[in-house]
Amino acid sequence: MNENLFSSFITPVMMGLPIVIVIVMFPSIMFPSPNRLINNRLISIQQWLVQLTSKQMLAIHNQKGQTWALMLMSLILFIGSTNLLGLLPHSFTPTTQLSLNLGMAIPLWAGTVITGFRYKTKASLAHFLPRGTPLPLIPMLIIIETISLFIQPMALAVRLTANITAGHLLIHLIGGATLALMNISAATAMVTFMILILLTILEFAVALIQAYVFTLLVSLYLHDNT
Amino acid sequence: MPQLDTSTWSITILSMIITLFLMFQLKVSKYYFPEDPKPTLAATPKPVTPWEKKWTKIYFPLSLPL
Repeated sequence: MNENLFSSFITPVMMGLPIVIVIVMFPSIMFPSPNRLINNRLISIQQWLVQLTSKQMLAIHNQKGQTWALMLMSLILFIGSTNLLGLLPHSFTPTTQLSLNLGMAIPLWAGTVITGFRYKTKASLAHFLPRGTPLPLIPMLIIIETISLFIQPMALAVRLTANITAGHLLIHLIGGATLALMNISAATAMVTFMILILLTILEFAVALIQAYVFTLLVSLYLHDNT
Repeated sequence: MPQLDTSTWSITILSMIITLFLMFQLKVSKYYFPEDPKPTLAATPKPVTPWEKKWTKIYFPLSLPL
Protein backbone atom coordinates (compact mmCIF):
# COMPACT_ATOMS: atom_id res chain seq x y z
CA MET A 1 0.00 0.00 0.00
CA ASN A 2 2.80 2.43 0.93
CA GLU A 3 4.82 1.43 -2.12
CA ASN A 4 1.90 2.05 -4.48
CA LEU A 5 1.04 5.39 -2.94
CA PHE A 6 4.49 6.91 -3.40
CA SER A 7 5.22 5.31 -6.74
CA SER A 8 4.31 8.43 -8.71
CA PHE A 9 7.14 10.30 -6.99
CA ILE A 10 9.94 8.03 -8.17
CA THR A 11 12.20 9.79 -10.67
CA PRO A 12 11.23 8.31 -14.03
CA VAL A 13 13.83 6.15 -15.72
CA MET A 14 12.86 4.23 -18.84
CA MET A 15 15.06 1.27 -19.70
CA GLY A 16 18.03 2.86 -17.99
CA LEU A 17 17.62 6.24 -19.71
CA PRO A 18 16.88 9.16 -17.42
CA ILE A 19 13.80 10.60 -19.11
CA VAL A 20 13.44 13.01 -16.20
CA ILE A 21 15.52 15.41 -18.33
CA VAL A 22 12.83 15.42 -21.01
CA ILE A 23 10.09 15.78 -18.43
CA VAL A 24 11.74 18.75 -16.74
CA MET A 25 12.32 20.44 -20.09
CA PHE A 26 8.79 19.80 -21.33
CA PRO A 27 7.02 22.90 -19.90
CA SER A 28 9.29 25.17 -21.92
CA ILE A 29 7.54 23.91 -25.06
CA MET A 30 4.39 25.59 -23.80
CA PHE A 31 6.09 28.98 -24.15
CA PRO A 32 7.09 29.55 -27.79
CA SER A 33 9.68 32.26 -28.36
CA PRO A 34 8.47 35.39 -30.10
CA ASN A 35 10.23 35.74 -33.44
CA ARG A 36 8.12 38.32 -35.23
CA LEU A 37 7.10 41.91 -34.70
CA ILE A 38 3.43 40.94 -34.26
CA ASN A 39 3.11 37.48 -32.77
CA ASN A 40 0.25 35.04 -32.58
CA ARG A 41 -2.34 35.04 -29.83
CA LEU A 42 -0.64 32.53 -27.58
CA ILE A 43 2.65 34.39 -27.46
CA SER A 44 0.89 37.75 -27.08
CA ILE A 45 -1.17 36.50 -24.15
CA GLN A 46 1.91 35.02 -22.45
CA GLN A 47 3.84 38.22 -23.04
CA TRP A 48 1.01 40.27 -21.54
CA LEU A 49 0.85 38.00 -18.48
CA VAL A 50 4.61 38.26 -17.98
CA GLN A 51 4.40 42.04 -18.24
CA LEU A 52 1.56 42.14 -15.69
CA THR A 53 3.41 39.88 -13.25
CA SER A 54 6.75 41.62 -13.63
CA LYS A 55 5.26 45.07 -13.06
CA GLN A 56 3.57 43.85 -9.90
CA MET A 57 6.58 42.00 -8.57
CA LEU A 58 9.38 44.39 -9.44
CA ALA A 59 7.64 47.54 -8.23
CA ILE A 60 9.24 47.28 -4.77
CA HIS A 61 12.79 46.94 -6.05
CA ASN A 62 15.34 49.59 -6.84
CA GLN A 63 17.58 49.71 -9.90
CA LYS A 64 19.90 46.99 -8.61
CA GLY A 65 17.08 44.64 -7.72
CA GLN A 66 15.38 45.05 -11.07
CA THR A 67 18.31 43.39 -12.83
CA TRP A 68 16.86 40.17 -11.41
CA ALA A 69 13.67 40.59 -13.48
CA LEU A 70 14.54 37.90 -16.02
CA MET A 71 15.44 35.40 -13.31
CA LEU A 72 12.29 35.99 -11.28
CA MET A 73 10.01 35.80 -14.32
CA SER A 74 11.54 32.56 -15.60
CA LEU A 75 11.28 31.18 -12.06
CA ILE A 76 7.59 31.88 -11.71
CA LEU A 77 6.89 30.57 -15.23
CA PHE A 78 8.87 27.39 -14.59
CA ILE A 79 7.31 26.55 -11.23
CA GLY A 80 3.79 27.54 -12.31
CA SER A 81 3.84 25.55 -15.55
CA THR A 82 5.48 22.52 -13.90
CA ASN A 83 2.88 22.47 -11.11
CA LEU A 84 -0.05 22.89 -13.49
CA LEU A 85 1.18 20.15 -15.83
CA GLY A 86 1.57 17.87 -12.84
CA LEU A 87 -2.18 17.93 -12.29
CA LEU A 88 -2.69 15.81 -15.40
CA PRO A 89 -3.31 12.15 -14.57
CA HIS A 90 -0.30 9.81 -14.53
CA SER A 91 2.13 12.69 -14.98
CA PHE A 92 5.35 13.19 -13.08
CA THR A 93 5.71 16.54 -11.31
CA PRO A 94 9.34 17.59 -11.02
CA THR A 95 8.60 20.03 -8.21
CA THR A 96 7.71 17.15 -5.92
CA GLN A 97 11.39 16.26 -5.93
CA LEU A 98 13.24 17.74 -2.98
CA SER A 99 16.42 17.70 -5.09
CA LEU A 100 14.98 20.08 -7.67
CA ASN A 101 13.57 22.47 -5.10
CA LEU A 102 16.78 22.54 -3.10
CA GLY A 103 18.69 23.09 -6.34
CA MET A 104 16.48 26.11 -7.03
CA ALA A 105 16.26 27.55 -3.54
CA ILE A 106 19.88 27.36 -2.38
CA PRO A 107 21.56 29.10 -5.36
CA LEU A 108 18.91 31.82 -5.55
CA TRP A 109 19.00 32.53 -1.81
CA ALA A 110 22.80 32.43 -1.81
CA GLY A 111 22.79 34.85 -4.73
CA THR A 112 20.71 37.37 -2.82
CA VAL A 113 22.83 37.06 0.33
CA ILE A 114 26.11 37.38 -1.56
CA THR A 115 24.75 40.38 -3.45
CA GLY A 116 23.91 41.98 -0.11
CA PHE A 117 27.36 41.25 1.29
CA ARG A 118 29.14 42.66 -1.70
CA TYR A 119 27.25 45.91 -2.11
CA LYS A 120 25.90 46.76 1.32
CA THR A 121 28.12 44.84 3.73
CA LYS A 122 27.32 46.80 6.86
CA ALA A 123 23.60 46.94 6.20
CA SER A 124 23.30 43.23 5.47
CA LEU A 125 25.25 42.34 8.61
CA ALA A 126 23.05 44.75 10.55
CA HIS A 127 20.06 42.54 9.78
CA PHE A 128 21.32 40.18 12.46
CA LEU A 129 20.57 42.62 15.26
CA PRO A 130 17.18 44.34 15.26
CA ARG A 131 17.06 47.89 16.54
CA GLY A 132 16.45 48.45 20.22
CA THR A 133 17.30 45.04 21.67
CA PRO A 134 18.24 45.01 25.36
CA LEU A 135 21.96 44.42 25.92
CA PRO A 136 21.86 40.99 27.65
CA LEU A 137 19.74 39.53 24.84
CA ILE A 138 22.22 40.43 22.08
CA PRO A 139 24.25 37.17 21.84
CA MET A 140 21.16 34.97 21.86
CA LEU A 141 19.43 37.16 19.31
CA ILE A 142 22.38 37.03 16.92
CA ILE A 143 22.32 33.23 17.10
CA ILE A 144 18.58 33.21 16.46
CA GLU A 145 18.86 35.58 13.52
CA THR A 146 21.67 33.50 12.00
CA ILE A 147 19.60 30.36 12.29
CA SER A 148 16.61 32.09 10.75
CA LEU A 149 18.79 33.27 7.88
CA PHE A 150 20.14 29.83 7.12
CA ILE A 151 16.75 28.23 7.37
CA GLN A 152 15.36 30.42 4.57
CA PRO A 153 16.50 28.23 1.62
CA MET A 154 15.52 25.04 3.42
CA ALA A 155 12.06 26.45 4.12
CA LEU A 156 11.67 27.56 0.50
CA ALA A 157 12.51 24.11 -0.83
CA VAL A 158 10.59 22.06 1.72
CA ARG A 159 7.51 24.32 1.49
CA LEU A 160 7.19 23.77 -2.25
CA THR A 161 7.94 20.06 -2.06
CA ALA A 162 5.57 19.38 0.80
CA ASN A 163 2.66 21.38 -0.60
CA ILE A 164 2.74 19.82 -4.05
CA THR A 165 3.44 16.31 -2.76
CA ALA A 166 0.66 16.53 -0.19
CA GLY A 167 -1.81 17.73 -2.80
CA HIS A 168 -0.94 14.89 -5.16
CA LEU A 169 -1.17 12.32 -2.37
CA LEU A 170 -4.60 13.60 -1.33
CA ILE A 171 -5.86 13.37 -4.90
CA HIS A 172 -4.56 9.79 -5.14
CA LEU A 173 -6.12 8.77 -1.83
CA ILE A 174 -9.51 10.37 -2.36
CA GLY A 175 -9.67 9.10 -5.93
CA GLY A 176 -8.92 5.60 -4.71
CA ALA A 177 -11.55 5.96 -2.00
CA THR A 178 -14.16 7.04 -4.56
CA LEU A 179 -13.38 4.02 -6.72
CA ALA A 180 -13.57 1.66 -3.77
CA LEU A 181 -16.83 3.16 -2.54
CA MET A 182 -18.58 2.89 -5.91
CA ASN A 183 -19.41 -0.76 -5.40
CA ILE A 184 -20.43 -0.33 -1.78
CA SER A 185 -22.65 2.73 -1.81
CA ALA A 186 -23.19 5.05 -4.78
CA ALA A 187 -24.31 8.01 -2.64
CA THR A 188 -21.13 7.99 -0.54
CA ALA A 189 -19.14 7.66 -3.74
CA MET A 190 -20.87 10.78 -5.09
CA VAL A 191 -19.98 12.71 -1.95
CA THR A 192 -16.39 11.56 -2.21
CA PHE A 193 -16.38 12.54 -5.88
CA MET A 194 -17.55 16.02 -4.97
CA ILE A 195 -14.70 16.23 -2.50
CA LEU A 196 -12.34 15.18 -5.28
CA ILE A 197 -13.61 17.92 -7.58
CA LEU A 198 -13.21 20.56 -4.87
CA LEU A 199 -9.74 19.26 -4.14
CA THR A 200 -8.74 19.49 -7.79
CA ILE A 201 -9.87 23.10 -7.93
CA LEU A 202 -7.83 23.72 -4.78
CA GLU A 203 -4.83 22.08 -6.36
CA PHE A 204 -5.05 24.38 -9.37
CA ALA A 205 -4.96 27.32 -7.03
CA VAL A 206 -2.15 25.79 -4.97
CA ALA A 207 -0.07 25.19 -8.09
CA LEU A 208 -0.15 28.84 -9.00
CA ILE A 209 0.06 30.14 -5.46
CA GLN A 210 3.14 28.09 -4.64
CA ALA A 211 4.92 29.43 -7.69
CA TYR A 212 4.01 32.93 -6.64
CA VAL A 213 5.08 32.44 -3.04
CA PHE A 214 8.44 31.00 -4.01
CA THR A 215 9.19 33.84 -6.36
CA LEU A 216 7.87 36.45 -3.96
CA LEU A 217 10.06 35.24 -1.14
CA VAL A 218 13.15 35.21 -3.33
CA SER A 219 12.26 38.72 -4.34
CA LEU A 220 11.87 39.74 -0.70
CA TYR A 221 15.24 38.31 0.21
CA LEU A 222 16.59 40.27 -2.73
CA HIS A 223 14.91 43.43 -1.50
CA ASP A 224 16.56 43.09 1.87
CA ASN A 225 19.92 42.79 0.22
CA THR A 226 19.91 45.42 -2.55
CA MET B 1 9.99 8.20 0.56
CA PRO B 2 11.33 8.09 -2.99
CA GLN B 3 12.25 11.77 -2.92
CA LEU B 4 15.05 10.99 -0.49
CA ASP B 5 16.80 8.56 -2.84
CA THR B 6 19.89 10.62 -3.58
CA SER B 7 21.07 8.56 -6.57
CA THR B 8 18.81 10.53 -8.92
CA TRP B 9 19.48 13.94 -7.38
CA SER B 10 22.36 14.90 -9.68
CA ILE B 11 20.48 14.28 -12.93
CA THR B 12 17.37 16.08 -11.64
CA ILE B 13 19.33 19.13 -10.52
CA LEU B 14 21.28 19.18 -13.78
CA SER B 15 18.13 19.08 -15.91
CA MET B 16 16.56 21.79 -13.75
CA ILE B 17 19.59 24.05 -14.18
CA ILE B 18 19.50 23.58 -17.95
CA THR B 19 15.78 24.28 -18.13
CA LEU B 20 15.55 27.19 -15.74
CA PHE B 21 18.77 29.04 -16.48
CA LEU B 22 19.02 28.32 -20.21
CA MET B 23 15.75 27.54 -21.92
CA PHE B 24 13.30 29.66 -19.98
CA GLN B 25 15.60 32.63 -19.80
CA LEU B 26 16.31 32.47 -23.53
CA LYS B 27 12.58 32.51 -24.23
CA VAL B 28 11.68 35.26 -21.80
CA SER B 29 14.62 37.42 -22.85
CA LYS B 30 13.11 37.57 -26.33
CA TYR B 31 9.92 39.15 -25.04
CA TYR B 32 9.67 42.64 -26.43
CA PHE B 33 7.60 45.33 -24.82
CA PRO B 34 7.54 48.28 -27.17
CA GLU B 35 7.27 51.79 -25.78
CA ASP B 36 4.12 53.77 -26.26
CA PRO B 37 4.29 55.73 -29.52
CA LYS B 38 5.57 59.24 -28.91
CA PRO B 39 4.24 62.16 -30.98
CA THR B 40 6.96 63.49 -33.32
CA LEU B 41 6.91 66.85 -35.10
CA ALA B 42 5.88 66.72 -38.73
CA ALA B 43 8.09 69.69 -39.63
CA THR B 44 11.23 68.74 -41.55
CA PRO B 45 14.59 70.08 -40.35
CA LYS B 46 16.30 72.83 -42.33
CA PRO B 47 18.18 71.23 -45.27
CA VAL B 48 21.96 71.46 -44.90
CA THR B 49 23.46 72.99 -48.04
CA PRO B 50 26.72 71.41 -49.20
CA TRP B 51 28.87 74.43 -48.38
CA GLU B 52 27.58 74.50 -44.79
CA LYS B 53 28.64 70.92 -44.09
CA LYS B 54 32.37 71.49 -44.20
CA TRP B 55 34.21 74.23 -42.36
CA THR B 56 36.29 76.34 -44.68
CA LYS B 57 38.19 79.35 -43.54
CA ILE B 58 36.61 81.42 -46.29
CA TYR B 59 33.24 81.68 -44.62
CA PHE B 60 33.82 81.93 -40.92
CA PRO B 61 35.90 85.13 -40.75
CA LEU B 62 33.26 86.90 -42.82
CA SER B 63 30.60 85.98 -40.29
CA LEU B 64 32.59 87.14 -37.28
CA PRO B 65 30.96 90.08 -35.56
CA LEU B 66 33.28 93.05 -35.99
